Amino acid sequence: MKDQEIDGVLNNAGRAPHDLAPEVLQRIADSIKPTLRPVRPLPPPWAMTCGMLLISAAVSLAGAARAGFFGFEKMDILERLLILPALVILVWMAGSEFVHAMIPGSLRRISSGALLGFGTTALLIVFAFLFRDYRSDHFFSAGIACLLVGFLHAIPAALLGWLLIRRGFAVNSVSAGLAAGTLGGLAGVGMLELHCPNLQAAHVLVWHVAVVPVSAAAGALVAWSLRFRAGSRPHERISPK
Amino acid sequence: MKAFEPMHSDSSLEILMARYQQGDYAAATDLIERIGPQLHRFFLAQSQSRTDADDLLQETWLRIHKVRHTYRPGEPALPWFYAIARHVRVDHHRKSVWTALGKRQLEAMTKEVAAVPREPDHADGLDVLLAPLSESQREVIEMMKVAGMSLEEVARATSSTVGSVKQRVHRAYKKLRVTMSAAGVRTGQSEELS
Repeated sequence: MKDQEIDGVLNNAGRAPHDLAPEVLQRIADSIKPTLRPVRPLPPPWAMTCGMLLISAAVSLAGAARAGFFGFEKMDILERLLILPALVILVWMAGSEFVHAMIPGSLRRISSGALLGFGTTALLIVFAFLFRDYRSDHFFSAGIACLLVGFLHAIPAALLGWLLIRRGFAVNSVSAGLAAGTLGGLAGVGMLELHCPNLQAAHVLVWHVAVVPVSAAAGALVAWSLRFRAGSRPHERISPK
Repeated sequence: MKAFEPMHSDSSLEILMARYQQGDYAAATDLIERIGPQLHRFFLAQSQSRTDADDLLQETWLRIHKVRHTYRPGEPALPWFYAIARHVRVDHHRKSVWTALGKRQLEAMTKEVAAVPREPDHADGLDVLLAPLSESQREVIEMMKVAGMSLEEVARATSSTVGSVKQRVHRAYKKLRVTMSAAGVRTGQSEELS
C-alpha cells in the first residue's frame, strides 16, 4: 500500500462529520461572557529574550562585583574573546527557548533537553580548547565551593527570568523548568568565569560546567513538583444550568 | 446535534482570535463554534466516554479564556488551541491516575474499565484506523488529518521540532501500511480493521 493511498483513506475518515450537542458549546460561551474583557497580548519573544539576557548579565556582573573580578583579570585576551561571547550566545539560546516554552503553540527549534546537551558540550569544547593547566589542586574542596557559588547565582537568574515571563503559560512545565534552569546555570557559569581565578582545566571543565546541568535538573525538579501539587487539585468544571 | 467542516480558513481564525483578545463576544462564540467540535473529536479519540470529552472541552475553553493573552497576533491560531487542548488532556490523564493511586483503587478501576466495552458510537472511521498507533503517533495524524494542520503547525502544537513530528508521521505510516494492507483497506473505503 502506497503513502498516497493511506493519505486518501485517512483524509476520507478525517473529513467525516462529527456530532456535538449545541448546548455544550452554548454553555461554554455563556461561562466566559461575564469575564470577557480586553487583554494585552504578551510582548514579542525577541523582547522577552533580550530581557532574559539582561537579567543573566546583571546577575553574573552583580555576583562578580560583590566577590571580585579575579577570573576576568587572570584571563588573557583570547580567553575573554572566546568565553564571554560563547556565554552570551548560549544565554540567548536558553532565554529564547524558555520564552518559547512559556508561549503555547510556539515553534521550538531545539528541545529543552537538546539545549542542555548542546550548552554543556559547547562549554566543554571552549574550556578544553583554552585551558591547558592540567594540575588539579584542591580539586574537590575548591570545586564544590565553585559549584555552590554558581548554583546560588543560577537561582536568582532563573527566578527573575520566570518573573519576567510570568504572564506566559507553560504547556509542558517540566520542559520550561529545564530551560529556566539551563538559563540560570549559564548565568552562574558567567559569574564564575568573571570571579574564579582557578583556571586549571579539570576544575573549570568539571565544576564550572556542572553548574549548568545541576541548575537545569533543579529547574525541572521544581517544575515537576509544582505540577505534582497541582495534580492533587480538583478539575475546573462548568456547571450545567 | 450538528455537523462541522473539519477544514477551514485559518487566516480568519487569527482575526477572530485578535478580536477575542479585544473582548469581542461575537468573535469568542464564533471561535467556540468552529474550534469546539474539532477539539471535542480530539478528546473523544482518547477518552472512554462522550461525557469525559465534553468535560475536557469545557475545561480547555476555561483555560483558553484564562490564557488568551498568550496568543501572539499574527501567529497561527490553530496550533495555539491544540497546544492548550493537549496540555489539558495530559493534565486530566495525570490527575485521574494520581487520584486513583491516592485512593488505592487503581487495580479495581482497571478491572472495571476493562470489563466495560467502549460505546460503539464513539469509534468513528478514523479512530478505528488509528487504533494500532501509539498515543503520540495517533495525536499527530489526528492533527494533520482532522484539523488539516501542516507539519510545522503540529510541531508548534506538540511543543516539538518539525524533525520529530516527521519521524512520528513516518513511523505511523509504516505501521498503518502493515495494518491496512493486512485488513484489505482500499483508498476511498473505510472498512473496519477488526
